[in-house]
Amino acid sequence: MASINPSEDQDQQSTEPRIVLPGDELPPTETGLVEDAATLAPTIKLGPGLQPMDDDTIAAVKAGVLKHASVGNRWWIESNQRRYVSVAGENVIGVVLGKTVEHYKLDIGTAQPALLGVLAFEGATKRNKPNHNVGDLLYCRISLANKDMEAELECFNPTTGKADGYGELKSGFVIKTSLGLARRLLDPKSLILRLLGKHIPFETAIGMNGKVWINSGSTKHTILICNAIRNSEYLNERECSTMVKSLVDKL
Amino acid sequence: MSRPDRSRTSAHQLRPFFSSQNLLNRADGSAQFDFGGSSVMCSVVGPAEVRIRDEKLDRATIEVVARPLVGIPSIKEKAREQNIRETLEPLILSGLHPRTGIQIVVQTMKDDGCILSTAFNATIMALMDAGIPLKSILGSVTCMVDEKTNQIWLDPTTEELAQAKSAHVFVFDNKSSITSASAGAQGKDADVDMDQDTVGAAILFSDSTGLFTEEQYFECAQICFKAAQAIHGFIRTAIAKKLEKEYQQTHA
Repeated sequence: MASINPSEDQDQQSTEPRIVLPGDELPPTETGLVEDAATLAPTIKLGPGLQPMDDDTIAAVKAGVLKHASVGNRWWIESNQRRYVSVAGENVIGVVLGKTVEHYKLDIGTAQPALLGVLAFEGATKRNKPNHNVGDLLYCRISLANKDMEAELECFNPTTGKADGYGELKSGFVIKTSLGLARRLLDPKSLILRLLGKHIPFETAIGMNGKVWINSGSTKHTILICNAIRNSEYLNERECSTMVKSLVDKL
Repeated sequence: MSRPDRSRTSAHQLRPFFSSQNLLNRADGSAQFDFGGSSVMCSVVGPAEVRIRDEKLDRATIEVVARPLVGIPSIKEKAREQNIRETLEPLILSGLHPRTGIQIVVQTMKDDGCILSTAFNATIMALMDAGIPLKSILGSVTCMVDEKTNQIWLDPTTEELAQAKSAHVFVFDNKSSITSASAGAQGKDADVDMDQDTVGAAILFSDSTGLFTEEQYFECAQICFKAAQAIHGFIRTAIAKKLEKEYQQTHA
């Protein structure tokens, strides 16, 4: 894959945010796709939001910020939306909708319900397998995603075979956020979670499908955390800390 | 040179536009677009589950519902639904979401002429808000030919439309605007290039009512093409402002 010009600078991402709209073409000079294509044979990796078009150009199909990593010449668009489209390897929170002999049907926010094999749990055998009921919350990993089929899920880490935190989420509360906010919450440096953590101890599980599970010592605290997370989406750092402070003071 | 709408001095002046995205809580994407006194709200749900009867195996089903300002939908709304759907179907990359449905609801909020154009612009902003994959964006403008003076008025109000000999709605995509902009920068006779572009592939949709000559039609197309550039620019700024708000935490 990485057959790009090695003299290119090492920085991981472009310096200033570049906003693209659907139809904006990726400049061929920057992707290296035009220069000596035969000798260099540049490879380009396209991420979400970019598609090769009929006229052999690469264009944006979503509105967002164009991002680039020189390692592997990867390009993608960071955009925000509310509807989830499954991607293999992502962690999601699903609600059990129903159960058949072989599968649980889970609502993960996609167009079709996802399938979770009844044996796709740590150490599950035909004799000994966990039983989940309609309405249960499960934290799972998407093992197979295909645009033509329902997504398939699993509740264990495929490399170790261990549960690794996947499985049922007991008690607590789930809120639905935008996918962009969920991604931001997954950042270990996430501002709002850090601010809330200073005042209240709580557990959280964040699904890439925009579902966020919160559990804390009391209902009062859980409600506060949920409201704070939902309110934080369009606030800057200072506004966030004022908001959290005022919410905590009201307790 | 004067036109009935006193707030505007020139025949080729658009009314102030306004837009806002992500207004509705439960839709996957929504937007409002205003042309002066005309306002349309659009909501998008999808890619979502679709009735088996409407399911298409290789692409998403696109459904457009137009709602009037008051009363129940009539033939006018049905025609608007068809216009919007047929213009958007080639623009939406529906092959990326097979066996799903994308529902677009277009609700008129205020009516002061040019509702179809306003609806087009609102729809494209709602689709972008919902993150539906699109080939390009579009910009729509309406113009009319005055009965008495034969002048071309851009973005007419209801009052002005009452004295129209003909009215024309145009939709242009942003891909062809790029080519014409570069052509204009290169050659001095930009008008000739512009003419070719407007007559060529740039037009996604055109709807004309009334009596008009060929010359009038092409003149209208050219004026609307220039105005559509302003719409594209406006949409870009509106999106940039929204993204800025979203990313202020990550920049800090």
